[in-house]
Amino acid sequence: MKSIYKLMIFLLTTIGIVSCEVQEFSDLNNPEVDAFEENITRGDLQDLVGGIFYSSRVRLGTYYDDVAVIGREYWRFSSSDPRFTADLLGKGTSILDNNTFYTTAPWAARYRTVKNANLILGFIDPSKDLSGQFSDEELSVTRGFLKTMIAYELLLNLNLTYDNGIRIDVADEDNLGPFVSRTEALTGIRNLLVDGANDISNGGNDFPFVMSSGFSGFDTPSTFLQFNNAISARVAAYQEDYPSVLNFLSNSFLDLAGDLSIGPRHSFSEDQTDIANPLFFALNSSSAGARIAHPSFVNDAEIGDTRLDKVVLRNSSITFDDLTGEYDFFLYDSRVAPIPIIRNEELVLLYAEANIMANPSETIIALDVIRNAASLPSYSGGMMASELTTEMLNQRRYSLYGEGHRWIDARRFNILDQLPIDRIDDEGNPDDVWIEFPIPLTENQ
Amino acid sequence: MKKHSLSSKGLLLFLFFFPVVLFAQETITGKVTNESTGEGVPFINIVEDGTNNGTASDIDGNFSLTVNNLPVKLKVFALGFTTKVVSVESTGSITIQVAEALEALDEIVVTGLATSVKRSNAANAVASISAEELVGTTPPPTIDGALYGKFPGAIVSANSGAPGGGLSVKLRGATSITGNTQPLYIIDGVYVDNSSIAAGLNAVSAAAAGGSASNQDNPTNRIADINPDDIANIEILKGASAAAIYGSRAAAGVVIITTKRGKAGETKYSVSQSTGWTQIINLLGTRNFNEQRVEDSFGAAEVPNFIAARDAGRLVDYEKEVFGEKGFITNTNFSVSGGGEKTRFFSGITYNNEEGIVKNTGYEKISVRLNLDHRMNDRVKLSLSSNYIHSSSDRGFFNNDNSGTTIGVGLTATVPWANLFPDANGNYPDYALGSSNILQTRDLVTNNEKVDRIILGGSANLDLYKAEKSSLELILRGGIDFYGQKSLAFFPKQLQFQKPSNGGVNGVSVQGATQNKNYNVSGFLVHNFTTDSELNFRTQAGLTREFFDRNTFLTTASGLVASESNVDQAQNTGINQFRLKQEDSGFFVQEEINYQDKVIGAFGVRGDKSSNNGDANQLYYYPKASIAANLHEFGFWKEDSFWNQLKLRAAYGEAGNFAPFGALFTSYTAFTTDGLLGISLIGTRGDSNIEPERQKEFETGVDIGFFDNRLSASITYYIKTVDDLILQPTREPSSGFTTEFVNAGSLRNNGIEIGLNATPYANDNFQWDTAVNFFKNTSEVTELNVPAFNIGAFGATLGTFRIEEGKSATQIVGITPNGLQVLGDAEPDFQMAFNNTVKYKEFELNFLFQWKKGGDNINLTALLTDLNGTSHDFDDIDLDPSGQLGNGDYRVSQLGTSAEVFVEDASYLRLRELGFYYSLPKNILESFAKGYVDNLKFGFSGTNLINIFDYNSYDPEVSNFGANGIFTGVEVTPFPSSKRYMFNVSVNF
Repeated sequence: MKSIYKLMIFLLTTIGIVSCEVQEFSDLNNPEVDAFEENITRGDLQDLVGGIFYSSRVRLGTYYDDVAVIGREYWRFSSSDPRFTADLLGKGTSILDNNTFYTTAPWAARYRTVKNANLILGFIDPSKDLSGQFSDEELSVTRGFLKTMIAYELLLNLNLTYDNGIRIDVADEDNLGPFVSRTEALTGIRNLLVDGANDISNGGNDFPFVMSSGFSGFDTPSTFLQFNNAISARVAAYQEDYPSVLNFLSNSFLDLAGDLSIGPRHSFSEDQTDIANPLFFALNSSSAGARIAHPSFVNDAEIGDTRLDKVVLRNSSITFDDLTGEYDFFLYDSRVAPIPIIRNEELVLLYAEANIMANPSETIIALDVIRNAASLPSYSGGMMASELTTEMLNQRRYSLYGEGHRWIDARRFNILDQLPIDRIDDEGNPDDVWIEFPIPLTENQ
Repeated sequence: MKKHSLSSKGLLLFLFFFPVVLFAQETITGKVTNESTGEGVPFINIVEDGTNNGTASDIDGNFSLTVNNLPVKLKVFALGFTTKVVSVESTGSITIQVAEALEALDEIVVTGLATSVKRSNAANAVASISAEELVGTTPPPTIDGALYGKFPGAIVSANSGAPGGGLSVKLRGATSITGNTQPLYIIDGVYVDNSSIAAGLNAVSAAAAGGSASNQDNPTNRIADINPDDIANIEILKGASAAAIYGSRAAAGVVIITTKRGKAGETKYSVSQSTGWTQIINLLGTRNFNEQRVEDSFGAAEVPNFIAARDAGRLVDYEKEVFGEKGFITNTNFSVSGGGEKTRFFSGITYNNEEGIVKNTGYEKISVRLNLDHRMNDRVKLSLSSNYIHSSSDRGFFNNDNSGTTIGVGLTATVPWANLFPDANGNYPDYALGSSNILQTRDLVTNNEKVDRIILGGSANLDLYKAEKSSLELILRGGIDFYGQKSLAFFPKQLQFQKPSNGGVNGVSVQGATQNKNYNVSGFLVHNFTTDSELNFRTQAGLTREFFDRNTFLTTASGLVASESNVDQAQNTGINQFRLKQEDSGFFVQEEINYQDKVIGAFGVRGDKSSNNGDANQLYYYPKASIAANLHEFGFWKEDSFWNQLKLRAAYGEAGNFAPFGALFTSYTAFTTDGLLGISLIGTRGDSNIEPERQKEFETGVDIGFFDNRLSASITYYIKTVDDLILQPTREPSSGFTTEFVNAGSLRNNGIEIGLNATPYANDNFQWDTAVNFFKNTSEVTELNVPAFNIGAFGATLGTFRIEEGKSATQIVGITPNGLQVLGDAEPDFQMAFNNTVKYKEFELNFLFQWKKGGDNINLTALLTDLNGTSHDFDDIDLDPSGQLGNGDYRVSQLGTSAEVFVEDASYLRLRELGFYYSLPKNILESFAKGYVDNLKFGFSGTNLINIFDYNSYDPEVSNFGANGIFTGVEVTPFPSSKRYMFNVSVNF
C-alpha cells in the first residue's frame, strides 16, 4: 500500500517539473508590432512605409461614395445594401447612423493609416540611436513624409464630421487627445503639414524607401514637398486664408500651362493582396451594384463641355429605390485605374478661388485655363466676386466631379440648399441634404 | 431496477453458495432468451417475487427454480436488461424473453477522464444518448444533427440547409461572447477537431466587405465526418460542474462519444440500407406581378417584357427552379462484430450519399471503422479504435454577399419574366436586371470540400495491484486525429459576373489545402480501497498532454486561362497561409468517496497550462466537488413501495475557455500597393496578458423514480457564471484600432432542465414509452468594465446584438424613432421535446416533436427581396400599422428609421423525427430464413416532416455567420432547410 502512494506522489511531483513544459509560440502568421520597437532596419522601414500606401486606400470607395452621394454627384445603387440610397440621401425619415459602415468604416480606415504612421514615428523617434541604419537626414525626410500623410488622412475625416470635429492627438492609443473643433482641427492639420515640410526641407535628397507607383514624380523629398504644399493650399482654402493659399500654391506643383491631370495618385492592382479601384463598375451594371450619375450633372452642363465624358449613357435607364438615371458614373475605366489625391486642375481652381477678392483678372485667367481645357469658350460673365465665385464653383463641380469636392464646396459656400432633392415620400418627407456625419458611436463622445 | 440488482448482491451470493433445498414442492425449469436475438442469456436473476428464493441462469440461459406452490410470480432481472415479472401457472419448461434495456447504457456515466460512475450515483445531470436514440428512428445526416430534442439543456441549430452539416450545438446558454461556444468532442479518448474552414468564397461574394469581418462562407463543421452508425453511446457534460476534469477546454461542455465494440460470442453481421429523398420545407412563392407593379418596381421599360412573357406563358418561378429539386439520399451500412474471450472486434463500413435541394449540391461520405479489444492476460487489456473517413461536400454558393453574385442574393433580384435558361449551345444569357444569372451560377460554380481523415485511439489498462479490498490500475491512452482538407471554389470566366465586360475579373479559382493534426496522450492511476464498513475510496491522478497543429493554404487566382481551374493558369494569384499551433499540458487528481451507494461525494482539481495563454507555463487550476444522496437506499420505504428512486444531488465545478485566436497579439498584416509590399495594422489590438475565461457552475437537482422507474423525473437547476469574460469591445477608431481584446466582464446563466420519462402502458403486445424534456435558460451580463457595445449582424440600422451590463447577453437592439431600443432576444423562452415510442406486436412507431418557444432572429432576406421588388408578400398589407403600405414598401420605408420590422420571432414546432417500422416475427423468420437471419426490420422514417412557425422565410433555424459566437440567428438569403423522407431496411444475422 505504502509503495503505491509513494508512486503516486512521485508521479505528481514530476508533473510540474519535467513532463509538461509547454512551448510558447509567438504570432505564427504575422509580424508583431513589438518586434519593431528596437533597432528597426531599412528593410523594416520599407515594409512599414509600404503599409501607409496600402492603408491610405482602404475604404476609400466608401469615403467617395459618402461625399459624392450626399453632394448629389452620383447615386450608389446596391441591392444588397440599401443604406446608400436611404440613409445617405436622407430618404423619408432616414437619418445618418453613427454606427454603420458609411460613418465608421472610412473614419476608422483613415485613423488606421494615422496609427501606422504614428507607430513608425515612434520606431524612429529621435531618442533612439538608429545611426547604424539611417542618417539623420534620412530620418528627417521620413518624418516629413509621415506627417504629411497623417495630415492628409485627418483632413479626409474632418471633411466627413465637419463641425463635429476630429481628434488630432492620437499617437498614444491609451491616452487619446480630445475632439477639437473644425477651426482647431484645420489649424492642427496645417501645422502638421508645415512641420512636415520643415522636416523635409531639413533632410536629405533621398527618401530611405521606395514609394508606390502612384507617387511617381513626387517621390523625392523636393517633389514630395510640392505635394505637401498643395495639400496645405487646400487646407488654407478651407480656412478661407487666401493669402496663404497663394503662398502654398507657389511652392506646390501648380502649373497654369501644364497638364491638369498631374498629381500624386492612389494606385491599384488586381493582385490578391492589393485592392482594386473601389470606384469602378462596368458600364450598364445592374442595381446589384452601380454608380449612376445624378441627372443634374448632365442637365446642368454647358453645351459642349467635354467633361461630360466622365459619365456614359446607359443602354437603358435604371431604376432603384425610386431613383431613375440614364448615365453611368465612369470616371475610372478599369479595376486598376488610379484615383488622384490632388491634381493640378484643383490647384488651378484654388488659384482662381484665392484671387477672386485680391486679383480677379488672375481668377479669370485660371478659369479660362479650365474652361478651354473642357472645350468651352472663355469666361464671359460678370466680374463681381459673387459671379466669379459661382463660376468657380461650377467649374469645380465639373472639373473635380466624383473626386470628393462638390458636397464640401457647397458646404463651404453655404449653398447646400441648392443641391437637388430627388424624392418626397408618401408622408411628404423630402430627402435631406446632410451637413455632416455624426461622430462614430464608438468614439464614446 | 438497479436498486434490486445492487441490494440483491448478498442475496445472490447466498443463492450461489447455498442451493435451495428446503421445502421444495414445485420445480420450474426454463430458459431465458434475448428477445431480439433469441439466444440464451446467462446470469439473469430469477427470483420468486417478494421472497428471497431465487436463482440465476447458467451460461446457456437455462435455469431451474423450486418454489413452494404454484401459481407464482417470478421476477427476472439483471444489469442491462429490463426487469420483468412473469406468472407461472404450472411446472415444466418455460421460456422467458428478456429485452435489453434501453436505459442499460445509462447505467454507467463517464465522468472522469479514466473512470465512470453508475448513473444512480452521479451528482450531475449527464445526458446520455444511446445508439437507438441516435439513429434508431431515422438516419441522421450528421451526429450533431441527431442531437435535436434528445435531452434538455442544448440548443442545436442548423446554420443552413446545405447538405453535409454546418450545425452549432450550445449547451446551457451563453458560455462565451468572443470565444468558443461549441463543445469539445472526444471520441474514444481522442480529442477530435470540429473546425469550420472557409473555402475562400469571400473573394467573390465580398460578404465581409460591408462592415462585417466574420466568416460567411458557411463551411461544414468537421464533426460532420463522424459516422452516426458507428456510435454506441454519446454522453454530454453540459457545463463546468460535470466537465471540470477536462479543464481549460471544457467551458462549453464536452461531448463524449463511445463507438461500438465487439462482444464475445457468435460473429454478428448487420446490414442496413436507407434510401429516400430530401426536399424543401416550404417555398415562399413569388410576387404576384401585374403591369402596374412591374412599372412601379422596375420602370416602364420592363412592362412590355413582362406582358410578352406572361402572354406567352413564359413566367418562370425561379425559386422553385432553384430550390425545387428532390435530392436523392442513400445510406448503406454494413458491420461485423464478434470475437473470443481474448480478442473482440467491431468493424463497420458506411457509404452515405446525399443530394441537396439545389442542383450540384450534395454530400458524400465513406467511413470505415475497426475497433479491437484484446485481453493479454488477467492484468492487461488493450484496445484500439480506428476510423478512416473520406467526405466530399458540394455546398453551392449562398449566404450574404456584397456583389449580388450568390444564388440566394441573385434570386432576390430575379424576376419571373426573365429568361435565364441556356440556349441549345449551352450559353447562358446575361440577366439584365441583376449582376448574375442564378441558373448559370448554380450550374457552373463549384464549391467543394474534400476531406480525408484518420482518427486513431488506443488505450492500455494494467492492473498493477489487486486485492480483496483494494486495487491499483494504470491506464494509458493516446489518440490522433489527422485530416487533410482540400477546398475548391471555382468561378469560370463565362459567368455573368466574371466577364470583364461586366466588370468581372475573368474567372476566379480558390483552392485551399489544410492539414490538421491533433494528438493527445494521457496516463492515469486509479486506486480503489473499500473499508470494512463498505466505505469506498477511489483515488485517481493523471497527466494529460494535447497537441494541435493546423496549417492552411488558400490560393486565390483570378483572370483564368481558358477553362483551367489550376491556380497557376491565371493572371493574378494570391496565397494566404494560416497556422495554428497549441500545446496543452495538465494534471488532475480526484477523490471519490462512496458510502454504501447512499452518499457519494467527489472532489478533485485539474491544473492546466497552455501555449494559448499569455504566459504559457502558468498553471490554471479548475476545482470540482459534488455530492449525491440516494435517499431510497436508506430504507425509508418498503421494498414494494411505489417509490424506487429519490436522489438529491449537487455539484460545483470550474472550467476554462481559451482566448480566441489572435487575442494575444497585436500584429501587422502584409499587403501590396501596385506591387509595393507593405505591412499595416488591421484594426484589432491584442493583449499578451489575456487570461482564459473561467466558468463556474453550480448545479443541483433531484431524480425521482416510481413504479420500477416506469415513471421517472429528473429536475436540475443550474447557475453558471463566466468570469474574466474575453470581450472584443470596440475601441475609439481614432486610436487606429477598432476593437481590442480584454478580460472585461462576467455573465451568468440560470436555467432549469426537466426530464420526464414514463411508460404509461405496457403489456405483452403493446407498449407506449414517452419522454418529455423541458429546458429554459436566461442569461445576464452581470459585469461589464467597458462601455456597452454592439456586436454581430450588420449594425443597428438592421438590428444587432448588444452587450450591456444588467441585460441579457443575447439581446437584440436596433434603431427606432425613439433611439436605440431592445427589439428582441435570441434566447428562446423555453424549449421542449416530446419523444414517444409505441410498440404493438411487431410494429414500432417513434416520433419526436421539438418545440422552441420564443427567441428572435434578425431576418434580412425579406428586405433584400423588397429592395428588388420581388418579395412574395410585397403587396400584402399586414405590417404597416396604418394599413397603408404593402409589406414590401413598408419594410423599405423602415430602413434607416427603425429596425423593428427585421427582428422576428423564431419560434417553431417541428416533428423532428418520425419512424415507423415493422420487424418480421420470429416464427416467420425461422420458417423462411432457416435461422440464418436473427432480425429483419423495415420501415419508413422522416426528418422535419411537420414544421409550424410564423416566420417570414424558409426556416427560423438559420445562421448567416456559422456556428461561432452566441450571435447566430441572423438570416441573409440562406440555403433553405429541407425535410427528408427515408425508407429503411436492416437485417441482422
